[in-house]
Amino acid sequence: MNGSVRSSVGLVWRHQRLVWWIFAVNLLLAWLASLPARAALGSVLDHSLESARFVSGFDAAALVLLLSRPDLPVSALASSSAGAAFVFFIYLLFLDGGIFAVFLDDRKLSRAEFFENSGLFFWRMSRLALYSLPFFALLAAAHGGLHGYAGKLSSNAPQERLGFFVNLGGNLLFLLLALFVRLWFDLTQARVVQDNERQLLPTVWRSLKLALRSGKLYAGYVGIALYITMLLAAGLAIWAYLPHRATFASFLVLELVTIKLIASRLWMKAASARWIALLPTQSVAVPLEPPAPERPAQPAEVIEVTDLQPPLD
Amino acid sequence: MKNRCWRICLIAVAGLITAGGLAQTVPLSERVVAYRIEGAYNPRTHALDATELLTYTNHTGTTLEKFPFHLYLNAFQPKSTWMTEAERTGQRDSATGAGWEDKHFGSNEVKSLEIVGAGDVTKQMKFISPDDGNPDDRTVFEIALPSPLPPNQSVQFKIHFVATFPEVVARTGYKRDFLMAGQWFPKVGVWWNGAWNCHQFHALTEFFADFGTFDVKLTLPSGWNVGASGLQTGAKDNGDGTQTLSFHGEDIHDFAWTADPTTKVVEDSIQFGARTVKIRMLMQPGHMASAPRYLSALKGTMRKFDEWIGPYPYPQITVVDPPHGGGAAGGMEYPTLITADTNWWMPRSLLLPEVVVEHEFGHQYWYGMVATNEFENAWMDEGINQYSEAKVMDSLYGQETSLLRSRLGTASERTTDLLGYANVGDRDPISRPAWLYMDGSSYGGITYSKTALMLLTLESLIGEKAVIHGLHVYFERYKFKHPTPTDFTATMNEAVGQNLDWYWKQAIYGTELLDDRILSATSERLDWYSKEDEKKGTTNYHTQVIVHRRGTFDIPVLLEAKFDDGSTVRESWDGKDRWHKFTWDRKTKLVSASVDPERGYWLDRDPFNNSWSAAADRRATGKLAGYWTLLTQWLEQALSWLA
Repeated sequence: MNGSVRSSVGLVWRHQRLVWWIFAVNLLLAWLASLPARAALGSVLDHSLESARFVSGFDAAALVLLLSRPDLPVSALASSSAGAAFVFFIYLLFLDGGIFAVFLDDRKLSRAEFFENSGLFFWRMSRLALYSLPFFALLAAAHGGLHGYAGKLSSNAPQERLGFFVNLGGNLLFLLLALFVRLWFDLTQARVVQDNERQLLPTVWRSLKLALRSGKLYAGYVGIALYITMLLAAGLAIWAYLPHRATFASFLVLELVTIKLIASRLWMKAASARWIALLPTQSVAVPLEPPAPERPAQPAEVIEVTDLQPPLD
Repeated sequence: MKNRCWRICLIAVAGLITAGGLAQTVPLSERVVAYRIEGAYNPRTHALDATELLTYTNHTGTTLEKFPFHLYLNAFQPKSTWMTEAERTGQRDSATGAGWEDKHFGSNEVKSLEIVGAGDVTKQMKFISPDDGNPDDRTVFEIALPSPLPPNQSVQFKIHFVATFPEVVARTGYKRDFLMAGQWFPKVGVWWNGAWNCHQFHALTEFFADFGTFDVKLTLPSGWNVGASGLQTGAKDNGDGTQTLSFHGEDIHDFAWTADPTTKVVEDSIQFGARTVKIRMLMQPGHMASAPRYLSALKGTMRKFDEWIGPYPYPQITVVDPPHGGGAAGGMEYPTLITADTNWWMPRSLLLPEVVVEHEFGHQYWYGMVATNEFENAWMDEGINQYSEAKVMDSLYGQETSLLRSRLGTASERTTDLLGYANVGDRDPISRPAWLYMDGSSYGGITYSKTALMLLTLESLIGEKAVIHGLHVYFERYKFKHPTPTDFTATMNEAVGQNLDWYWKQAIYGTELLDDRILSATSERLDWYSKEDEKKGTTNYHTQVIVHRRGTFDIPVLLEAKFDDGSTVRESWDGKDRWHKFTWDRKTKLVSASVDPERGYWLDRDPFNNSWSAAADRRATGKLAGYWTLLTQWLEQALSWLA
């Protein structure tokens, strides 16, 4: 893990307010989205002695039976969750400008500064998300194709496990490629915010070249992804060993995992921002009226900048 | 017609008895058919070139003029009834039959047909479609005898045929080198209830055949492991890279076999008093971890059936473990041979291998010995067997954990049956012929699940022991026979000493749904006009519980009411109305009420509305809604990967 990835842990820690805010909205939206389901479930279960099947244990077949009832239209209820996911996505797109400004400057922005940056870059972040979409879609399609091929191998190859390992390898490859695309666009976002860049497509292209030369940063992304995986596995393992009645403890453990997931994603963004920040230094945050004098370069890390080359690996 | 041949058969059987002591001294069944088949299997073309000599003895009591035969493998042809139905409404293995490739096509081609003593009658073969008139279906043909066959006389058919197997589908065919040969030879129909019964092969149907003897010689590549119905009686190395194996089976109504060069053979046995039954398992090398699981489930099942239903009279049971990708061969029953199903990663907590072995062994009774008409009365084998499965799995693995028993959750056979039935319960009556069901889910939910739930519900009406006793009597009376639904219901009525026709009428022949619920439950002060505060133990309450019959299935109802002084009251309602009001005037308030408090009416499709508690318990809702919230949070984060 290179310096920018390591040091960005501290960056996330120092600005953990971002984590908490994102988590709060994540939870709030999800909770709101779950209200119709909560009401539907409550109307069936709250006064039914049969609800004990989900309290002292977890009867999976009874759950499916419950969810197959006509008065529990799962697809309609799930649409509110899908809606919440979309709103959260827009929310994060909106925050991206402010988040990168914070990480690039490594200072606490005032609320007004933060949201002004968010607003300023929202449309550009949205466009970048759109630009990234074909790449992710391509990867997803390729992954789907590979998955189908692995399925055929599972059925037809003489070696029974071949399909499984091809699928596993395909998943890993997909993950690595998806991480690269994410890194590429994180660098783009960071550059756009740092340089207040309006020419997005050239920036995307330049960032690709940077991303291709950012081996250590990419390794850091992979490390973070590994960390997320282990975290998720550990959280689920703890949850699995909690007694069925320990509903609140389960909630806490899983929410803790969720917070960590959010922090890990911010860690990636911070690492990219840090990496970009090592390019020619300049103020990032959009000053409020009256215009603030241009701030000196942040002395967080003293480096010799002799040219415009980033610290390529 | 051919007494001489009958005598030859008797001599042959007697010879086998003398030679190997393999046969029963007294036939267990009325042996109507005697098949002698010799065939050579070509693994490159997946085809078997064979000659069949069928001796049919007319025990019908009537003169027979024509004979229908099944050619089941012709179902896997374009335009066949099976294929058409599979494409439109699904088949037993999948919702629809889409995605067929040439490798899935199979056939039974009759090269020649001779009636011994009367000459070649190949050109007189006539394909018929008694069920749907499909002129392109070639799964049944008929042949008229040159001269009628009087009662107690025999006729011999000599058939040269080629069976070309499909890549495995509907429990027959090949997968790489593995072959599961089911329904592979021309099989004569059954004279039943005064007529020939020989249905076309449908996407949702199984089979029906007469008991008899099978002597089969198979030539295959050397070194291949073979399993088959009956017992192996000989093996010969032909010196040309092939081997010829001989098998003999008796008092069975079908003969299936399997061959695979890579399987590992696991052998064991189980003892019932002086009787020993050999267990032979043909395992895929990658599935050896499932072998002990198969064995344990099989032995447990055999013991339960021996205890509850009756003895397993055959000397051997063979379990075939299909290879990966060959799952369509799994989960099938043939006489003395069953196919299981597993994979290399099967979790220990998921009891699918156990369930499949249990179910298929159960068919040795409900299909193998009590040989019902699977075309017309599928519930009598699949459904009664599904009930047996629930009972045995409950007994071996616990009622709440008979399907899944992990730390994270459990699942039971019974609830899974309810799941299959709950949303299709009123689509078709159980008694409907299999090919006439609305679709595959209705067939599965009614034939399997509803029948099982019907018998589980019956336990609650007449007692578990009575139901099992009834099944035992039914088995003893109809083993090696072809009983009808009426035989079953009449035997059950007689065995349990009750006329249950009111129940059978609704459950088997009707589409009535059972769904009783607590519509309302209240405890209100009798002195509602009083200004005094309520006092526990002093204030009188009028308690009222209304039970509403949402469904149309008439059945007595037991209601249990619990009061806040700890007392419990149980009262009955004959169930002969749409609703019933239970009332009590007591100095206690109602705490909870439940219909069917012992949870015995498994036919009640909605168990969640069967009870009511005064105090809301939101823990379950909180837990499930909490998981819903969490999954939404993770969905939000997954989508935000794009931001």
